[in-house]
Amino acid sequence: MKRALSILTLSLGMSALSSANAQTTVTFWTWYLSPKFDGYIKSTIAAFEKANPGIKVQWFDKQDSMVQDFISSVNLGNAPDVVNLNIDETQKAAQNGFLRAASDFTPAATLNRTFYAQSLRNFTQSGKVYAYPWYGWINEGVLLYNPELLQKAGLSRAPRTSSEMLSYAKTIKDKTGAFGWVPALKDPNTASFLGFFYAEGLPIYSADGRAVFNSARHAALLNQYVTLFRGGYIPEDAVRREAFQLATELYAQNRVAMIVGGPQALTRIKDTNPGLYAKTVVTNAPVGPANVQTGGSMGLVIPRASKNPEAAAKLAAFFTNNANQLAFAKVVPVVPTTLGAQTAVQFRVTSQDPIAKATGLVGASGRFINPGYRAPGNSDDLYKNFNDNIEAALLGRKTAQQALNDAAAYWNANMKK
Amino acid sequence: MRVPWRTTLLSYTFLAPALVLLGVFTFYPLLYGAYLGFTEYNGARFGQGLPPRWVGTANFEKLFADPLFLTSLQNSVKYLLVVPALQLAALAVAVLVNKQLPGMAIFRAGFYVPVVTSISLAAVMWEWVFNREGTLNWLLRNLGLTTPEAQFGWLNSEVWAFWAVMLVTFWRGFGYYMVLYLAGLQNIPEELEEAAVLDGASAWQRFWKITVPLMRPTILLCTLLSTIAALRVLEEVLVLTNGGPLNSTYTALMYVFSKAFQGFDFDYGLASAAGLVVAAVALALSYLNFKLFNRPEEEEA
Repeated sequence: MKRALSILTLSLGMSALSSANAQTTVTFWTWYLSPKFDGYIKSTIAAFEKANPGIKVQWFDKQDSMVQDFISSVNLGNAPDVVNLNIDETQKAAQNGFLRAASDFTPAATLNRTFYAQSLRNFTQSGKVYAYPWYGWINEGVLLYNPELLQKAGLSRAPRTSSEMLSYAKTIKDKTGAFGWVPALKDPNTASFLGFFYAEGLPIYSADGRAVFNSARHAALLNQYVTLFRGGYIPEDAVRREAFQLATELYAQNRVAMIVGGPQALTRIKDTNPGLYAKTVVTNAPVGPANVQTGGSMGLVIPRASKNPEAAAKLAAFFTNNANQLAFAKVVPVVPTTLGAQTAVQFRVTSQDPIAKATGLVGASGRFINPGYRAPGNSDDLYKNFNDNIEAALLGRKTAQQALNDAAAYWNANMKK
Repeated sequence: MRVPWRTTLLSYTFLAPALVLLGVFTFYPLLYGAYLGFTEYNGARFGQGLPPRWVGTANFEKLFADPLFLTSLQNSVKYLLVVPALQLAALAVAVLVNKQLPGMAIFRAGFYVPVVTSISLAAVMWEWVFNREGTLNWLLRNLGLTTPEAQFGWLNSEVWAFWAVMLVTFWRGFGYYMVLYLAGLQNIPEELEEAAVLDGASAWQRFWKITVPLMRPTILLCTLLSTIAALRVLEEVLVLTNGGPLNSTYTALMYVFSKAFQGFDFDYGLASAAGLVVAAVALALSYLNFKLFNRPEEEEA
């Protein structure tokens, strides 16, 4: 009896001790952030663990196979707790039931107080916010150009409107042999040309959710690009390769005069052609008649299969809070998605260094981040069809109007609501 | 003769580990994949934790109504043109390098380098070759076969991209098959060749009467492997053209890959059905290969 009592006492003591030491381990997946930003991620995790002694964070950086790895891990019952996805992937994951809503863990009032309304809208699906908005970028944040090529083309200033941009492309190519710029005609995995419609103020969907991007005005806009492409004013690789990658590559070789994008393009140019980087002029990007810009953002999502959703939500909220987003923006020129960033002193830069100037121009403009279109249900199929039709128009196999009619018909027949 | 049960048991004991591995990693996925081909199992069902739902032949009906799948299947079958070219070239070069000459080992190893080169690295290299300003155009221009104005990016051409990607497949596979043929050639008894030489047979006669018949098992193996590989071509297409332009390089396996592994809108059911169709084509072609190259010796006589 005495022996049994002592065993019981010992086991109770051990169990009390183990619960006092009990730790929740949160698995955190980022996307293409290592090794470049190891320092920032590790120090933020350390700060989080210090503030939350019961939670330990295991960090993994995923690259090309992020989505496949995510799906496999759910299949194997080993899902991560916090995952870094972009707006489009978050929309798709939420549509397919992979995610828990951020508003399940954080009151809507807190989310509204922390993030721009548009940032929350970007990650909203069927009335629920599915991600903690993280860092972002503005596609048309800045225009950077090679002043020597513009001068050679007889152009005294940068273009200010999207239609001026189109006419510059022609002048620059005719006078210098270099391309004006590389528009994102057909980036893989998205329907990037829809962004041009948005910039022009042309609708993508009707109020009842039908695809309506095939009006005569839509076709006329597409036709302008088709004419430029077929005239050799846009690199032919633009139908096959990602515009950003192609543009930065050709710009560094003096074969493209202008890049419309964010400060991230400049970091590449600084690495590949420091001489040209020093000459590069940064200014406001031209805008379309709608006076809007497109952009994207990353978010932190909580998978439905997470075993520690509460702790995961704490980590996601911590990484995306104002202080941590601003700290990240000091390491790399990203655009924070928090309301507090609007008044951040760090974005009032007056330096003439291209990256510093670009960061100053876009850093506090997170409220404008908007992809310009929402991922439709069944988007992988629909995006492919849309891009195939844009390509058919560019290669002269269909008229612009026919291509858009075909794409809209396909979308309306195959879009899952 | 009866085999004692102890011997049978011992044989199966030795076979067991391999059979278990085959069962787990080959037969189970194969059967489960075949089953999935008759089910609805897409991102939405998977994401909500729902099991596959039996839908009979619906996926196959959907597949054969999808112009993209039909195009991809057509491209894959057209891609088989690489097989005879690859086999003939690999056999011819294997015969040429099957000589004991100084430095031959380095020469043979050189042919094998593309086999072990990573596809991403190879893609960068071939981009340089096929670009508008690439080495292929430079060569053609210097040979007077084209003008600067008529140049184009080979991978951007609806007509040429397919052949350009096929050339990369040829380049990647050539060394592999050549080594297999070389191994086969070195197994041919030298006495046979020597006897034929004494009988006054020419090199051409020795090739057709001795080398080719004795190499038939190797030719069958290489053709079979190469046919299956051509039907399964994916990596070079993904990295070089992503199926374009206008789906001219979009292959059946790319269709399977895109339906099964890209994004959250995946459709395992449809992908498995497409995989089954590709497997059926591969089986039919393998049967044809056996018929062509595995004729009994007496038929030869």
